[in-house]
This record gives sequence, structure tokens and C-alpha cells, in this order.
Amino acid sequence: MLDYYYPNEAAEPLLWHPVLFAYTLLVSGADLLILSALAYLSGSLRKAIPLMTMLGIGFFSVLLAGPLADLRSPQRSHLIFTNPQLFPTTTNPGTSLIAFQSIVWLVALILSITFALLTFSYYSHQASLTVTGLRRSIYRVFSLGVTTRVRYERAEKAAKGVAVLMLPFLTLWGIYPASLFVAQTWNPVWRGWTLLPVTYFADAFVVATALFMLAYFFWRYRSLETDVVIPILKIHAAGSLSVAALTALQMAVWWFWSPSTAETAAPVIPLMYVVIGLLLLSFFLSLLAMRHMTMILAVSLVAMAGTFTNKWNLIVNAQLVSKTGLAFFEAELGGLWLLETAAPIALGVAVFILLSILFPLEVRESGN
Amino acid sequence: MEDTSRREFLKGVATLLVAPTLTAASSRTGKRYAMLMDVDKCFGCMACVVACAAENNVPLGSFRTWIEHVVKPDGTHIFVPKQCNHCDDPPCVPPCPTGATYRTPDGLVLVNDELCIGCGACVKSCPYGARYINPVKGVADKCTFCDHRLREGLLPACVEACPSGARIFGPLHEENELSATVNSRPVQVLKPQTGAEPQIYYLSLPDEVNR
Repeated sequence: MLDYYYPNEAAEPLLWHPVLFAYTLLVSGADLLILSALAYLSGSLRKAIPLMTMLGIGFFSVLLAGPLADLRSPQRSHLIFTNPQLFPTTTNPGTSLIAFQSIVWLVALILSITFALLTFSYYSHQASLTVTGLRRSIYRVFSLGVTTRVRYERAEKAAKGVAVLMLPFLTLWGIYPASLFVAQTWNPVWRGWTLLPVTYFADAFVVATALFMLAYFFWRYRSLETDVVIPILKIHAAGSLSVAALTALQMAVWWFWSPSTAETAAPVIPLMYVVIGLLLLSFFLSLLAMRHMTMILAVSLVAMAGTFTNKWNLIVNAQLVSKTGLAFFEAELGGLWLLETAAPIALGVAVFILLSILFPLEVRESGN
Repeated sequence: MEDTSRREFLKGVATLLVAPTLTAASSRTGKRYAMLMDVDKCFGCMACVVACAAENNVPLGSFRTWIEHVVKPDGTHIFVPKQCNHCDDPPCVPPCPTGATYRTPDGLVLVNDELCIGCGACVKSCPYGARYINPVKGVADKCTFCDHRLREGLLPACVEACPSGARIFGPLHEENELSATVNSRPVQVLKPQTGAEPQIYYLSLPDEVNR
């Protein structure tokens, strides 16, 4: 590889700090909410819906904390909402994907919270009868006036409507920021990674199910339930296999149809092999875990290692490829980057813990 | 009577204050500024780079304009000045989430510091590596064609500093040296495959250095 790059790239090769890495993990919150909505609509996996919803809201609600730390003028971050570049004008032709997704996030979050409140409304009413003080007031608000089973049936219908509405908004987040990389940057690896949005979508399901299994394992270690674990393992296995296959397919596309892109993408190819290996291992472990359920911990950890590697490769390593395609920079991670990376995830976990105190993480039967 | 005279006085003051701005703005209306780089004339003295840095307070390590030095296989040394191409279809404008990056009617692509949040989306979307994040201001920064000098009727600092006349600047659709050269001689633009319609034209740019 030659060593030709633009001088401004050398000043700051890693413009999007690894905070973006944490941010993309938080996108899995959108996929947990998609799973939750689909489960609610199909009537399957009902026991898992509360845990999925709470985990999903926990991560999705703090999603924008990731890029906030990446902004060089965060004091003006509100402008994304108050002055979004959505409609093309003469001076500002085009639509900003970042602005569009920010609005989509807001809508999706409001819908997700509405969905959660509706599904928990009757529970909240019952809880309000057994507690006192501030908690009683909170539960009364959360009950949305659903005080009888008849009203809850109506709330369930409304929740189904909200679940349908949530899906397109959350799906847009499931493929973001892959769509941003492919459409609105001139990084040769990102632009050449044509399968990135679909790979990203599948990958977010892998992280989502891995997170679910991790939380479920530590919460129900002594009594893992087949009707919860098996469907989740099936989704996880399908996701892992899909990401491994799509990653291999992308490499094949480069080699056979675009050798110049394959040459440019050379710095990211070694870790693509690691991703394929780890996700295939996760796939096989998922099959084993269907017989030995305690193995879900291993499935979750291996899958997370695979997806962490994948995100690092396509966000950090790919970013280090020069726009000329003829140079590869060294990663210089300065300051408190690890803390900055972990902080948004920790914030998501904190929100989840708070929600798990307020709401139950499973339902025994419909409406309870 | 007193009211009328006060109103007239205020009108007069307002006219005096606004008139110079209006004149400068109207003199630029309908223009399309562009630049021509004659690669044969550039000998890599860096006067333009220094003039630009001094004029615009460019931070160390970043560049609004720079010169690439290429040695061809036959041993010929070539110097290619580069900067923001002020594209007609600028890829850096749509990604900006707050509309901070915009295109003026006379074709300049500029950044409104008051709106820029420093997300770097425009930096990543520029195919020419012409943008950077200004570490002092925390906003995206790039060549402005010395917009502040144009308003005063002056040339961009880099053009004025070039000792060999390798940089020619002016409105593209008026009769001048720039338009005459662009219309009569074979000129190239950088990375035409991007579809950005760059407005920095090159004379004698070898294909192998167009990257």
C-alpha cells in the first residue's frame, strides 16, 4: 500500500472517537424493542416481553449520549432538534441523515414508552393499591387510568397499534449508522461495504439477544425457562449465522467483483475473519445451549466478543483508512477514551435497573 | 412635522448603514466564483499556504490549502495546489444536521460557526480532505475563498500571494482570464467521479496525480 493521504486527515485520523463504538452497541436497544413489539403482536414469547422492553428502553433512551461526547461543540447539540436540516433549500440542498435519525429517535422513544406504559398499565394500577407515598403517585400516573380488566383489554388493543407504529421507526435505527457510513461519507471502505446496512441490522439482533441472555442468566440463574430461552436462542443463532454469512459474502464480493476495493479494505479484512469465527462459534454454542441452557452465558459472551470486534473493525479500523484509499493510519486513543466508551453503556444499565425496580421483569399470565 | 423629520433622519441613517452592505452583496449577485490552478506554473514555494494560514488563523497541523508534491516515474516533479473545491453539488452540505454548512448564491460553500456543533459529518463527507475540525473553535473549518476579502473587493490571500500566477480567481460567467482559460483550454477537475461538480479547475494536471 502506498502512503498517500490528505494532510488534514493526518491531523485527526480518528475523528469519530470510539464513543461511536459504544453508541452503536446502544442501537441494540432498538432491536430489543423490535423483538418486544413483534412478540407482543404475535402473542409469543410473552414472558420475555417485560425484560426485553425494559432493557430496550434502557439502552435506546440513552442512545444519543454516545455521540454527544463526540461533538466538539456539545453546548449547541440542541440545534439538532431545534434547527434540523430536513428539507432541501437553495442554500442547504439535501437532507441530513443525522438530523432525520435524531427526530426518528425522539418519535420511536415516545412510542416505546407509550407501549411500555400501556402494557404495564393494569399492573401499575394493582401496584398502586399496595404501596404508599411517592411510589403510589408514580404508579397511579403509570396506570393511565386503566383500573379494570375491561379497560386493560382496550389498552392492549392500543398497545398493539403502538407496537405496529414503533416498528418502522425502530428499524430505521436498526440500520443506522451503517446507512450514514454508506450514504453520506467518502470513506472508501464504508462506501464499498455495500452489505453494511443489512449486516448491521442482523448484528444489532445478535447484540440484543446476547444482552437479553446475559441479563436473564444473572436474574434467573437457578430457574431458566425453556419457553423463554429456546426462542431467544433461535433468534440469536439465526442472527449470528446471518452476520457471519453476510461478512463472508462481502469479502467475496470485494474479491470477485471489486478487487480495487478489496485492496483498499485490506486493513479491515483480518478482523473480518475473527468476526466470522466468533459468530460461527456463537451459532454452534446456541445449538448446544438448546440442550444445556446454562450455556447461554457462554453464548452471550462469545457473541458479544464477536460483535465488539465487528464494531471496532468497521468503525475504528475502517475510519483509519485514508480517503485516498492509499494509506492506513495508526489508532491513537488518547485521554479517557475507555471511560468515555463505557459511560453511555453504564448509563443504559442504570436506566434499566431503575425501570426494573419500578416494573416486574416478567409476566405470569396476560394482564398480570 | 417633528415626527416626519425624525423619521426621515432615521431613514437616512439606516440607508447610510445598510447601503455599503447592499452594494457589496448586489455586486456579487448572480456571480459564480471559481479558481484555476495552473500546475505548470506552481513550483511549490508554499507562499499560498502561508498566506492562507496567516490570513485565516489556520491552526497548526491543519490546512485550508496545501500543495502536494508528486514525482512522476520519469523523474518530473509536479506540485498540485489543493483546497476546498466549492462544489456545485457539495457532498459536505446535506450531511450537516443543523444546516451550518451551506452554499451561497455566488457558489461559495461556507460554515456558520454559530450553528456548527462540531459533529464532523461534513469532514467525513468531503471527498477531497479539505475540511477539518478547528480545535480552537470546535467547529468545522475550510477554505472560504477569503469571503471576508471578497466583500472588500480584494482577491483571496492565496491568489494574491502566488508569485508565479499559478492561481487565477474570478467569476466564472464573466469575461476575465479565468473564464477565458476555462472556456478555451482543456481543464480538469479533481475526482470528477464523485459527481460533486468541483469549481477548482486545473490546467496541465496529469491523470496519475488526480486523486
